[in-house]
Amino acid sequence: MSATRTPPAAKKLARVDGMLKVRGEAKYTDDIKLPDMLYGAVLRSPYPHARIVSIDVKEAAALPGIVRIITSKDITQGRFGRSIWDIPVLAEEKALFVGDRVAAVAATSPDIAQEALTLIEVEYEPLPAVFDAREALSEDAPILHNAPWAYRGAVTSDTDHPNLQSRVRLQNDGNVYQELARSKYVFTDTFTTATRHQGYLEPHSCIARVTDNEVEIWAPNKAPYRLRQQLAVWLRMEQTQVHIHPVYIGGDFGGKGSPMEIPLTIALAQATGHPVKLRMSYAEDLMAADPRHAASVTVRLGLDEEGRFMALDVDAVMNGGAYGGFKPMADVNLIGIPEAGSAYRIPTISIQNTIAYTNTVPRGHARAPGSVQMHFAVESLIDMAARELQIDPLELRERNMLRDGELSPLGDHYLEVRSGVTLEAAKKLLADTPLPPVPKGEWVRGVGYTFYQRPTHGGVTEIGLEPTTAGQVIVHVPFPDQGGGQLTLGRNILSRLLSLPPENIVVRQAETNELKMDTGCGGSRVTVTASEALHQGGKELLSVLNENFGLRDPYTVEELKASLSRFAAAWDGNWLRVSHNATNIEHVCSYNVTIARVRVDRGTGQIVVEDILSAFDVANIINPTSHYLQLEGGIIFGYGEAVLEDLEIQEGRVTHASLGEYKIPSIEDIPRVYMALVEGGRGVGQENVKAAGELSNVAIPAAIGNAVADAVGVRVRSLPITAEKVYFALRDGRDA
Amino acid sequence: MMPQRIQLHVNGEPVSAEIETGEMLIDFLREDLQLTGTKEACSIGICGLCTVLMNGKTISSCLMPAAFADGAHIFTPEGLQAVMDRDSSPEGAPDPTLWRVVQESFVQCEGLQCGICTPGQVMSAVGLLRENPHPTEDEIRHFMAGNLCRCTGYQSIIRSIQLAAERWGGMHATL
Repeated sequence: MSATRTPPAAKKLARVDGMLKVRGEAKYTDDIKLPDMLYGAVLRSPYPHARIVSIDVKEAAALPGIVRIITSKDITQGRFGRSIWDIPVLAEEKALFVGDRVAAVAATSPDIAQEALTLIEVEYEPLPAVFDAREALSEDAPILHNAPWAYRGAVTSDTDHPNLQSRVRLQNDGNVYQELARSKYVFTDTFTTATRHQGYLEPHSCIARVTDNEVEIWAPNKAPYRLRQQLAVWLRMEQTQVHIHPVYIGGDFGGKGSPMEIPLTIALAQATGHPVKLRMSYAEDLMAADPRHAASVTVRLGLDEEGRFMALDVDAVMNGGAYGGFKPMADVNLIGIPEAGSAYRIPTISIQNTIAYTNTVPRGHARAPGSVQMHFAVESLIDMAARELQIDPLELRERNMLRDGELSPLGDHYLEVRSGVTLEAAKKLLADTPLPPVPKGEWVRGVGYTFYQRPTHGGVTEIGLEPTTAGQVIVHVPFPDQGGGQLTLGRNILSRLLSLPPENIVVRQAETNELKMDTGCGGSRVTVTASEALHQGGKELLSVLNENFGLRDPYTVEELKASLSRFAAAWDGNWLRVSHNATNIEHVCSYNVTIARVRVDRGTGQIVVEDILSAFDVANIINPTSHYLQLEGGIIFGYGEAVLEDLEIQEGRVTHASLGEYKIPSIEDIPRVYMALVEGGRGVGQENVKAAGELSNVAIPAAIGNAVADAVGVRVRSLPITAEKVYFALRDGRDA
Repeated sequence: MMPQRIQLHVNGEPVSAEIETGEMLIDFLREDLQLTGTKEACSIGICGLCTVLMNGKTISSCLMPAAFADGAHIFTPEGLQAVMDRDSSPEGAPDPTLWRVVQESFVQCEGLQCGICTPGQVMSAVGLLRENPHPTEDEIRHFMAGNLCRCTGYQSIIRSIQLAAERWGGMHATL
């Protein structure tokens, strides 16, 4: 175990893309200009629900510099989506949210395209709208989609409420109602989480070029091979006719797996015969992309007389917005739902999540989708139970903690559950990190604890290795690096396996026609999936060099480079390819214990998060600095969700449509972060790894909420946890 | 729209160009000069991605009309190489050694992940260390508050600037 306060500065193992990025040389989508390229812009609905009676484009089309204006009549491919195909490229009969695409223009300059939007006349007939997910599922709610069960990929039927996007129910053998009835103590409450934007600083953008036989895309998409597959089906083309070109991605956090305006950009390129760039402004991205599902989560927890958990019932309703097509999972639901209560031993459990259509911005994936909503609710309720039963909240958690060898509540048997060592690491971190005295005034300090357990998800990938005559190795990988350090991963593994200094290894993101398939950078899966392929590739390369190119153990760097050079000279042009299917991997989970310390001003409700201490069970680490920073950055990502971020929607309109109003943490806002990385144990594959990206942010909101409750006795049941909520609760002597 | 001619220095090179009325400096740099190292997100002067040095001071190029840059000395994230290639430092240029130290420190401490905010962070850090070669952590936080970063959580950006200050200070001590 290593308790680290400052990560080592990377020397030889610094990120492969670092110098390019500090010099401004890394090319992002908006940095690319193609010959004869036109600029697109989108006319968006000002109404949350309205029939489109007519669209008059005559005046706009006459504007010099306007090449083409398209409406739904010009779209021939129908709707699209990642799993359910319910998103029209341009609104057909109705607009379903403020920001829905109604018409699009292509012009010779961005300014002309914007000006044309003001000249398009649309006659709308406003319709009654519904904004809340529970209301949307009531009997007389306005209906968004006429027959949503008929969409390709739909998971509902004509007997369901038409505003139902999806519902998942998970339970184990027991009967949760009976077990709750038999419990000595039962606690219940409802918690809500806000719509929050991923906050990537590069808004969605796309360049499309269409010829008779091919479609080319430049876009910040983190799963290019899946995008290619989705677009090929939608375009009725072969996958080999669709090319997703590598570009740098300016932040993801779950949002850059969605095709967003790529289909519309293709439609504009088809209609004009020119390459088209369509860049969303940041305001457009805030109002009309795919932020996190807002949730209302009702939790019931039953305990016996000794404070042992008997039964947990979780019933969540989430706001899916106007379309479900940005969710990638086949169940049109969220991957984190089964995690509710999974850090504990709970004999009987039932979890349900219902996602509803509403006349608001479509929701999609944000870092740890579903996990954050579930964790905040369950961990808050556990804390309330502890305080009510006058058991120390840490002690109650420890008493019920899932331990090695035990099944998770839903019956998952993990290779190992490293809860004990992780908890010890967190306790040590706490003991080793004294706080300064509380400042004068009405400040009260509080400590909040949370436990979290997350399974590691796998995927498929393929990599290619190529020797060069200079004795170097080029590693071709199918995935982009959206910041997580995936390209550096390839260099570090190969460098270690081959004993080849890192400067001799070049990692390159391949074009989509160069490798077979890859699941993309989602679900914190790249290290898990790619490390094994890279490991196998390194081993195979060594054996090829051994057998055919005179490499003998033990070898020097010069001997290795000479052998690589001989291989390159004899090389037939085919990469040494390794495919790896990690969909059926060892059942591995990571444990996390997070502690937040806050001080709250009794007079104003102001909350200062003094520090966040977190212990992570991580197995083997490949990129030490990047790994550390993935966790550290994730904690601050969670901190923003906990105390600042609320993409407020009033009457269906995102009112915080600028970074002036939608506050993400700045360097002046952040608390101190201390982490303990619990290495070792059993991870996935020969590199023995565990996922990190989404292990970091999930626990922060509940930890801070629990700390505020510890400080001033106020339970804030809704995110974000703000001074206003605490102030009014203190004033009125109630919870918030 | 009336075109207007401006004359200025960008990364030490004289530039004379026609601009549109109301054209912002960021569009002049990115579109007219193809200097795409300067990035854009919020377009309202909050995120800091578009930070450049104008007459030695950090500014948000998305808020600066290009016309106001007439006669100015502008340095963009790409500018270090151009400055280093010259025999003498152009007017208004940061010390190329400082600039390089800041770049290398950001790489070593990984004060970056996705990299979209990084050119702006580097320009601000250079601007900070020019004015204040030995900033305290609070001074770093205060000066850098106009540069948002979603990936890193900022701690590594603070460490990058501290390392740069330490090295830069060390270089002066040995002079």
